Amino acid sequence: MDVSQYLEIFLDETKEHLQNLSDQLMNLEQDPENMDTINEIFRAAHTLKGMAGTMGYKRMQNLTHDMENVFSEVRNNTLKADGNMIDLLFQCLDALEEYTENIQNTADEGTNDNEHLIKALNEFLAAKDGAVAPAAAKEEAKEPVKEEAAVTEGDASREKWRSIAFSDTENMVLTEAKKQGKNVFGLTVYVQETCILKAARAFLVYKALEELGETMISVPSAQDIEDEKFDFDFSIIFITDADLDKVKAAVMNVSEIDSCYIAPVELSEEKPQEVQASEEKTTETATAQTGVPAASAQTAAKTEKKAVSKPIVNRTVRVDIEKLDVLMNLVSELIIAKNSLVSAAQTEGITANSSVNEPIEYLESVTTNLHESVMKVRMVPIESVVQKFPKMIRDLSKKLDKKMQLFMSGEETELDRTVVDEIGDPLMHLLRNSADHGLESAEVRKERGKPEVGSIFLDAYQDGNNVVIEVRDDGNGIDVEAVKAKAVEKGKISQEQADLMSDKDAIDLLFQPSFSTAKKVTDVSGRGVGLDVVKSKIESLSGDVEVKTKLGEGSTFIIRLPLTLAIIQALMVEVGGEKYAISLGSIQTIEDIAPDEIKFVQNEEVINLRGDVIPLIRLNKVLDNQSTKGPDDNLIVAIVKKGDKLAGLVVDELMGQQEIVIKSLGKYINKSKVISGATILGDGEIALIIDANALL
Amino acid sequence: MEGIQESYETIQYIVVKFGDEQYGIDIKYIDNIVRMQRITRVPNVPAYIKGVINLRGEVVPVVSLRLKMGLCEDEITKLTRIIIIKLDNGEVIGVLVDAVKEVVTLDTREIEKVSYDSGEDKTNFISGIGKDKGELISLFDLNLVFSEKEKAN
Repeated sequence: MDVSQYLEIFLDETKEHLQNLSDQLMNLEQDPENMDTINEIFRAAHTLKGMAGTMGYKRMQNLTHDMENVFSEVRNNTLKADGNMIDLLFQCLDALEEYTENIQNTADEGTNDNEHLIKALNEFLAAKDGAVAPAAAKEEAKEPVKEEAAVTEGDASREKWRSIAFSDTENMVLTEAKKQGKNVFGLTVYVQETCILKAARAFLVYKALEELGETMISVPSAQDIEDEKFDFDFSIIFITDADLDKVKAAVMNVSEIDSCYIAPVELSEEKPQEVQASEEKTTETATAQTGVPAASAQTAAKTEKKAVSKPIVNRTVRVDIEKLDVLMNLVSELIIAKNSLVSAAQTEGITANSSVNEPIEYLESVTTNLHESVMKVRMVPIESVVQKFPKMIRDLSKKLDKKMQLFMSGEETELDRTVVDEIGDPLMHLLRNSADHGLESAEVRKERGKPEVGSIFLDAYQDGNNVVIEVRDDGNGIDVEAVKAKAVEKGKISQEQADLMSDKDAIDLLFQPSFSTAKKVTDVSGRGVGLDVVKSKIESLSGDVEVKTKLGEGSTFIIRLPLTLAIIQALMVEVGGEKYAISLGSIQTIEDIAPDEIKFVQNEEVINLRGDVIPLIRLNKVLDNQSTKGPDDNLIVAIVKKGDKLAGLVVDELMGQQEIVIKSLGKYINKSKVISGATILGDGEIALIIDANALL
Repeated sequence: MEGIQESYETIQYIVVKFGDEQYGIDIKYIDNIVRMQRITRVPNVPAYIKGVINLRGEVVPVVSLRLKMGLCEDEITKLTRIIIIKLDNGEVIGVLVDAVKEVVTLDTREIEKVSYDSGEDKTNFISGIGKDKGELISLFDLNLVFSEKEKAN
């Protein structure tokens, strides 16, 4: 079978399941008894096995199969999940990730059989019960779901519909139907395990049945089936005029249906099932609350579990990011065109004429909304990047032999897709740094009266037009003197420079290439290729990194990123006769300052604004041109803010607010730090964009 | 344009002038030739980067080859043109020239390679000297012109 067209879906889904597996294993480590977690792991492993098998990836299938076996035992309470087992499972996870990676790169899973893992897994099984031969264990695991139904008679175990409990109304309807001489059948349909589009098959079954009668109850619900939220079987209670054989034939007529168990439903009270049903009354009410009409204990447990661990799946469309880029470019063009229309209308002097003015205003609001919508489409939560970190920290913890824990918040914070794609590596670097350099060993921590387990925090949140990601640890903090000493030793600065250097400047040294204060090079970090890469990466995303540290108490790396890269609201200003744009997001207020209000602190110009002492930056000096203002004129000052730092940018004229499209200056112009890009104004002129963050 | 002589042994060059000197730019790099227009200055860049222009909605840097070659500052006249060049790496750059003269087709036999041992800076950008109707044309190696900057840093 040619499966190449499904490869992409397979990869996406496999990654999703692997992530889920990883998350659940982490949970399991915390809470080894949690049945929900164990079931979830089992389900994920089972699905993975099925998917790998369908795609013909035998090695992956074998490994997941054995993982599933182990979990089957854990689930049956015949085996306990302990540290060793979880370690092993994590190794299996790594191996599966390797397969996935191989498949992604070469469409082939590679040749690594990971026999040692499979052997280790089987040892667990063997240890559990010497009498059970591995083959038997496999047999057991092969039909795990079916086992669970645990009905005594052989075939009855596959007739899952028998475990469907009827509510009073349903009972009434069914009795009524019987009175009218209709047949009521219960049937359980098994789709072939190799079937790829099982939801479609199930749908065809439903359609075939609809022609014959009425589907009364369906487990799982029709919606869940449509969303592929079922294993390989589903059960239906069905009212029809047709006879049993005809119904069965209709079902079996659908291709890729493995088998169909069908029998008339008996509604007498004496039926043993009914006893079972009453036992399940409580669970039934519970499920009724979650919106599922009726379900057996088994499915009830399943839906409950789903409600806990799985968010409701949104209806989504996967779109190639390049298509979104094209869309974004078109929106940019539209905004430029709109701007030129606005400026043309102004120069023609027809703004007074409201018949033109109104449509232009309308156009402006439409383009602004359009831009916002497109931007939102491009935004994805950073979750996709950060969700792999807990496992990474766990691995580091073992590797470095330090106890540590990662706390994350704000995973739902959204950023432009391109930024999210790029932010993973820098964050990983910072976390590794915290784990390796930041946190002290358990003994040192004890001595210092800190909890033995080190904490690393990853917090993300939105702050105005920026998104802030903080990586914080409660470790040693940065030893500024050690940094200076190292810099002197490396010949980067002289001893005198070191003595005069402020703490902040010293910390900045860390961001220089090939600088590491770690005493020994470890696997994890310390080769000095970390922080400078982090900084340049973040800066290439128009963001910046800031460090706060207190020796002995820990350090915080603060990454600040712009929410969007393409279009911003900007304040247009004039400096020395040239037009510049400043992102409105960083501007706090505009002030009119008389020359005599300027004070000097350490020979720098400052103003005292409502109690804050704010340094002044004369933009004409930064931009290397002549101010058009005389020395006695009042100053127009735009107060900009970065984090908790303020500064006043002195400009010559204000031209107003405008939505601008950011264009890159190109690689050839060696990015002058202050200029972050350019934009094209309505009249075709170019205005450069001042990066206020770079000035602070 | 002259008649296109499709022969793999010939290369077409656009001949541009800096003062009295003639230079040739391989036509395959040339995206467009535009008249002089308002150039927006970019602060804190080397003097030979004159600024940026708006080329059909794209921001394109403009470089003065005169300053880059150590000649005197460009004199903007009616004949001044900006030649838009697309390099092998996809980068688009405009270069200022005093005037655009013509398109010539040179046979590889009419091109003399220059030796690089000359200490003079500008020879670094020249890949060869072409001879056309008794006149000499210095042929730019554009990838050298624009990669040199990275080396200098």
